[in-house]
Formats: sequence, C-alpha cells, structure tokens
Amino acid sequence: MTTNTNVRWDRPVWMKAWAALIVALFAVGAYLGLVWSPPDVNQGNLIRIMYAHVSVAWIGFVAVGLTAFFAALYLWRGKRRDDVLAVASAEMALLFSSLTIIGGMTYSRPTLNTFWTWDAKLTLTALMVALLVGYFIVRALVDDPVRRGRVSAVVAIVVAGSLPFNYLAAEWFRTLHPSRAIALDGSGVTMAPDMLSALLFNTVVAGLVYAWFMVDRVRLGRIEAQLEDARVAQEAVPSGKRGVVRV
Amino acid sequence: MNDRYARRGMTGRRTLYSLLGVGVLSVAGFMIFQALSTSLVYFILPNEYAQDPGQYGERRIRLGGLVAPQSVVFDDRELQLTFLVTDGIREYPVRHTGAPPELFRENAGVVVEGRFVEGEVFHSDNLLIKHSEVYEAPEDGHIDIDALRESLQ
Repeated sequence: MTTNTNVRWDRPVWMKAWAALIVALFAVGAYLGLVWSPPDVNQGNLIRIMYAHVSVAWIGFVAVGLTAFFAALYLWRGKRRDDVLAVASAEMALLFSSLTIIGGMTYSRPTLNTFWTWDAKLTLTALMVALLVGYFIVRALVDDPVRRGRVSAVVAIVVAGSLPFNYLAAEWFRTLHPSRAIALDGSGVTMAPDMLSALLFNTVVAGLVYAWFMVDRVRLGRIEAQLEDARVAQEAVPSGKRGVVRV
Repeated sequence: MNDRYARRGMTGRRTLYSLLGVGVLSVAGFMIFQALSTSLVYFILPNEYAQDPGQYGERRIRLGGLVAPQSVVFDDRELQLTFLVTDGIREYPVRHTGAPPELFRENAGVVVEGRFVEGEVFHSDNLLIKHSEVYEAPEDGHIDIDALRESLQ
C-alpha cells in the first residue's frame, strides 16, 4: 500500500525537534504565567489562569478562521489538499475552543462566582463548539469525498461567521464576560506590561502547538486521502465502472 | 481531478455562488446582531427598572450595577449580605442569601439574580461579579488583604 502514497509514513526528525522546542517553550510560558507575572490588584493570583484561558481562546479563533479559509479555498478550486487542511484546522479549532470553555469555567468560578452563565459571549462560544462538532458529524455522514468536502466547508464558513460577534460580544452586548483588555485596532491596552508579555508569550506557544498539530494532521490527512482514493478505485473495478470514479 | 471544475463558465458560477454566500451570511449576521442586542439583554440597570417597575413585577430578573460605597453589611451567621446596587442614576437595596464572592467589594461590578419584592428590595440568590478589563499589579507587588477585608465590613 505504501506505493500508493507519496507522503512520508513516519514523522520527520525536524518535527520531533519542533515538539521538543514547544515543550521547552511551554515550560517557560508556565514559569512566566505562574511565577514571573505579578498578581493582579483585584484578582490576586487568580490572574494566572487568564494566561492559559486567553491564549488558548485566541488561537482557537485563529483555528476557526483558518478552517473557514481552507474550506473557502476548497469550494473555490476543489483541490483535495485544501479539504485536508480544513479538516486538520477544524480538529484543532474544536480542541482549542473546548479548552477555552474548560479554562474559562475554571477561571470564572473563583472570579465571577459562577462556572457558567448564558450571556452573549459564552452562548456564542458554546454555539461555536456545537457547530464544530456538527462539522465532524456532517463529514461522517457523507461518503463521497467531494460532496463531503463541500457540505462541511459550508458549515466551517458559517462557524467563522460567528467570530466577529464572539470577539466583540462584550463590547456589543451586555455580558458577564469582561471586555477585551487588548484592542486589535490599537485603541489601547488595559493590562500591565509584564502581564501582557506573559500573555503574548503563552499565545505564541499556543500558536506553535496549533501549527505543529496542523503539519502533523495534514501529513496524516494526505495519507488518509490517498488510501481512500485507492480504496474507492478498487471497489469501483468489479462493478465495471472503471474510469467513472471522480476523486 | 474533478472535471466539473475544469469546465469553462465555472468561474462565473463560482463568483455567483460566492457572492450569494457572502450575501446570505451578511443578512444572517445582521439578523443575529439585531436579535442579540434587543432581546438578549443579559441584565438590566437600576434606572431601567425604575422607569417601569410594573413591567418586571416579581419576575425573576438579573440586575446589574456597582456596589455602592459604605453600603455593604454582611451577617455571617445568617449568611445575609445586604448592599446598594447603583448605576449612578438610581440605586436599590439588595438582600443576598449567601457569602460574598472573593472579588466582591465596594465599587465592584455585580450582577444579581432574583426578584424585586414589593418593587423596592431586590432578593438575590445568585451574586455574580462583573469585573472590568483592567489588569494591573498592586503597587507593592502584594495584595493588601486587610484593606480588602475592611472594604467588606
């Protein structure tokens, strides 16, 4: 079967080195957040949970956005590789947004005095996770690779449509969730410089984790796609439909 | 590859579908925004309640505002916390059953869940903190526990 694939079956050495680097940087990030950063004037040491929650949430947003980007590319030019990229990113989007909710609940209970409340920000995030689960359910239900890619791509784009509402929820609606401390339009940062450094460092580490799993999952996804194509082609032979299979 | 994509005229259809997709998503987004901003009001402010108390009656609502300075009394045997919640325009007394949360203090943002009794006192069974987006280190690097405790008495 290996002759059917032109991708490597084993993980290259540079990826192992990258993984080791991530573990080391993660330790540095944990040190910055847990030890080096000052406590917050209001929250005390509880502020340290924020470094994990916010960095993961940001990368989750990036993952959802990139999933929709690759999904749109797939709809546009129909290359199998774009679908493989979209799936890889969607898996990380589901992982990171689930971690955002778990971290958020952990952070929320001692600070806001509740694990969960149905305000706009939290509701939109729950909806995002539910739709990402839906993305994989849809993929499992459709057998034809082209149709599967197209239908799930639409789901991915719809999920990304909620991103601006989620990102600006605390500004646009009354929420319990605090507003952004770092406005991307450059209008201001309401966070002490040391805290900002610790947060940005942890965000970079979370981004590297996302990128590593993307590369690894795309490698697996390409093997998966080639095996599927080979299987479909094989199954098509006995029924006399040679040459009709489109993948 | 897919021969449908290789056919001529596909570019026009793709553009049409893309524009349709963007259009549908924009309309959906606008509708979501309208629905969320008008009907999904997470909490009401004291002055909004004051404008029409009859509208809320003794229904369960969320009331949001700041804890008025020097208004906090906590009975730790009966677990009764009373304070005034204000939005700078109107203030209402809140009776909360339970201990104050860790971040509860004067001038802190709060959202209380419960109902108005006889239109005057808000009886709360869930006290949530709505803290600001300002994160800063205390001046000497440590939290002044005594000052915190004092603010709660």
